Amino acid sequence: MIEVTHLNKTFRQLTPKNGPFQTVRMLFSRDYVYKQAVRDISFHIDAGEFVGYIGPNGAGKSTTIKMMCGILHPTSGTVRIAGESPHQSRRNVTRRLGVLFGQRTNLWWDLPVRDSFDIIAAMYSIDGAQQQSRLGELTELLELAEFMDTPVRKLSLGQRMRADIAAALLHDPEVLFLDEPTIGLDISAKRSIRGLLARLNRELGKTILLTTHDMDDIEQLCSRVIVINHGQLGFDGTTEALRQRIGLPTVIHLTYRSLVEVAELPSPLLTLVGREDNRLSVSCNREELRPMEALRLLECFGPIEDVRMEEPNFEDVIEQLY
Amino acid sequence: MSWLRMYRILVLASIRSRMQYRFNFWFSTIMSALVNAVEFLMLAVVLLRFDHIQGWTIVECGYLYAILTLSRAIYRSIASDVHHLERYLLSGDLDKLLLRPVPILLALMTQNFNLRFGELLQGGAILVLCMAELMRQGQIGWTAIAPTLLAIGGGAVLLYAIGLISATTGFWLTRTSVLQNFTEDAAKTAAQYPMSIYPGWLQGILTGVIPIAFANYLPALYILKGEASPLVLAGSWAVALALTGLGLLFWRTGVSRYHSTGS
Repeated sequence: MIEVTHLNKTFRQLTPKNGPFQTVRMLFSRDYVYKQAVRDISFHIDAGEFVGYIGPNGAGKSTTIKMMCGILHPTSGTVRIAGESPHQSRRNVTRRLGVLFGQRTNLWWDLPVRDSFDIIAAMYSIDGAQQQSRLGELTELLELAEFMDTPVRKLSLGQRMRADIAAALLHDPEVLFLDEPTIGLDISAKRSIRGLLARLNRELGKTILLTTHDMDDIEQLCSRVIVINHGQLGFDGTTEALRQRIGLPTVIHLTYRSLVEVAELPSPLLTLVGREDNRLSVSCNREELRPMEALRLLECFGPIEDVRMEEPNFEDVIEQLY
Repeated sequence: MSWLRMYRILVLASIRSRMQYRFNFWFSTIMSALVNAVEFLMLAVVLLRFDHIQGWTIVECGYLYAILTLSRAIYRSIASDVHHLERYLLSGDLDKLLLRPVPILLALMTQNFNLRFGELLQGGAILVLCMAELMRQGQIGWTAIAPTLLAIGGGAVLLYAIGLISATTGFWLTRTSVLQNFTEDAAKTAAQYPMSIYPGWLQGILTGVIPIAFANYLPALYILKGEASPLVLAGSWAVALALTGLGLLFWRTGVSRYHSTGS
């Protein structure tokens, strides 16, 4: 469905001059540096997959997605969506895509939400009956009824995001590109959107590419993860493989009844994280050493009064891959 | 989905957006009519001081002014935001238009649709008055109406082409407002007067580089004075269409270089 082959994108950027009068000198001659935002990226996504696309800020995620939508033209390499190139057949490809950039809206700012849907339906040539039924479904799913007639500029972020998602889905695209759809949303809004996306993927077989910084999105929704950093692919595999590769380091905080002398940890599978008076923090990889066994081993330092387990912070751990 | 229908849908959306702000809508319509009226009065004051300019009577000058104004009003009514491409490039809002299954230039033309009612009224009124006077003087007959309309249409296409090319430089230069001041506003102001008052080199620029002379002066030479052959009208349209073709190719190259903004 989606084929990205040896994709490259280079931007020409001004470098500031050093030395005296640098601003004025820049008016007369300019130094450019070529910044490669995307380097030789290749991947293949089948129809019906739900892929998470993650990476630190500035990694090249948005640039890749924009090339897949046809907004940017690649410097070299190809993109094919259902066999067509987005920048060469832009209008055909956009008909099959639903795109949501979380920071921007695709709706008409001054008009009521309902009007935006009407315009979009007309643009994509969706006939009246189909539009009504699909709009009815989406309104119910995303709870849009309460602000259908409010101008978009007056909506709260959560409302606007839900309306934008509906707008992206109105023409029933096969492929969805979502760039941070849950950014800035509260927990219940995030949950309902995650539920919707999961349904779209499982029941309707839509192919979804999700960019996010929220690791819960990845854990709950994606079967596959692609990691990008500095414009290059860092990892491409299933979420399971990702978990295994980074391990599941749990941090165990122990409070002992009395002061502890820790000369050496009872097992090489434990790593010392911190020590203070009668408190000890160790980390271990849950795949290698079960917490209960770790606790039993750590009792060697004395009777344990209190235990606290810190679950793996997916984010800190993903950072390792970055 | 025909482009005309798409244009109509998006333009109606744009008008509805503007009508959400009622006071602004009516006030700006009235104000722009007033501004246009004042602009012509300033020109008239200058012209009335003299009986004629370089062989052009005041009525003939009014005709020149009127057809240029009408051409420009048509161009800016139909393709308003092409002129404002700079704004879209700076904010990255072109992304939103690129996501729609509509030709990007068409989408841009429908944004912020603003029917230049004031300019059309003013240009139309002056044209009617001047042509009536010229007919009364026997300089032209009813046969002048069709070529005049042709000249106005050709002028609109020509101004659109000049506007398109100027705006497209934005893909390289980003900020184009000063360039546009030069190629569109300055050229228009110059063309309001008969070109014969300018030195040769300036006439050359206004015919060869920014060919605005084809919008009103050259057609008027034929229609009003019979000093040029009727082919000048065909020539005007040819120049307009050729320049438009060039502009569209240039536009395509520009879009492929589009950088968007950070996130």
